[in-house]
Amino acid sequence: MEPTYVVLIINLIIWVGLFFYTFSLNKNISELKGQIERLKKK
Amino acid sequence: MKSNAVMSTLKIVLLIWVGLVFSGAYLWAPLAKGLKEYTRVLYFHVPMAWITVIAFLMSALFSILYLKKRLPLYDLYAEATNQLGIVFAVLATITGSIWAKASWGSFWNWDPRETSIFILLLIYAAYFALRSAIEEDEKKAALSAVYSILAFVTVPFFIFIVPRIYDSLHPDPVINEEGKIHMGSRILTVFLSSIAGFTALYFWLFKLKIDLIKVKLQLDELEK
Repeated sequence: MEPTYVVLIINLIIWVGLFFYTFSLNKNISELKGQIERLKKK
Repeated sequence: MKSNAVMSTLKIVLLIWVGLVFSGAYLWAPLAKGLKEYTRVLYFHVPMAWITVIAFLMSALFSILYLKKRLPLYDLYAEATNQLGIVFAVLATITGSIWAKASWGSFWNWDPRETSIFILLLIYAAYFALRSAIEEDEKKAALSAVYSILAFVTVPFFIFIVPRIYDSLHPDPVINEEGKIHMGSRILTVFLSSIAGFTALYFWLFKLKIDLIKVKLQLDELEK
């Protein structure tokens, strides 16, 4: 495999992985905050 | 509101910083002689391993705090940072094995460095197995804290000592046996900036995890 592609694949794995992880954490927090708001309104 | 503005600014600064590291790695820093194109992997693969150490160290510190003060929050923080440590260790292992395939010809060679990160992953996987095996919260927290401290004792051994004792295919550690860094100034600048950027990224992820824990606790309180 061409070294340039290897380096690019490694970078993509890191950044896509971290992006999705951060995104899922943020989504989780927003969902739980939404649940708290709903419970408070009740 | 003020802290939200500070956080947003910090996120933007981090994004710009990481962008600069990325462009510096590809456009500004020269390629090292032996590593050629793979020099660029250094800026992403090494920080992953570095953050693994930081995350496990934080876990050991929170575990000590838990054993001292017996506050359940410290146990949850230790668990959260261990989860991050595992994520970064897996990323370091995957990226390292792709690098190995390209430069050594196979994804896995049981090289001392590969073996030591594999054992480290098993040790920390056992931490989560231990947690899931105990139902009583206080017992779970206390045993996990003791395990986490003992597990961290092995980290310097597996990351810094074993790869230096045995002959390895892995390129020389950044700080070698003579205790010197053999890097050109541009490579070193991008490398250290990358370490700083990824460390900030770890603390941002850890803050997100803390927020998640606090929101979950708040929700539990309300549901009771």
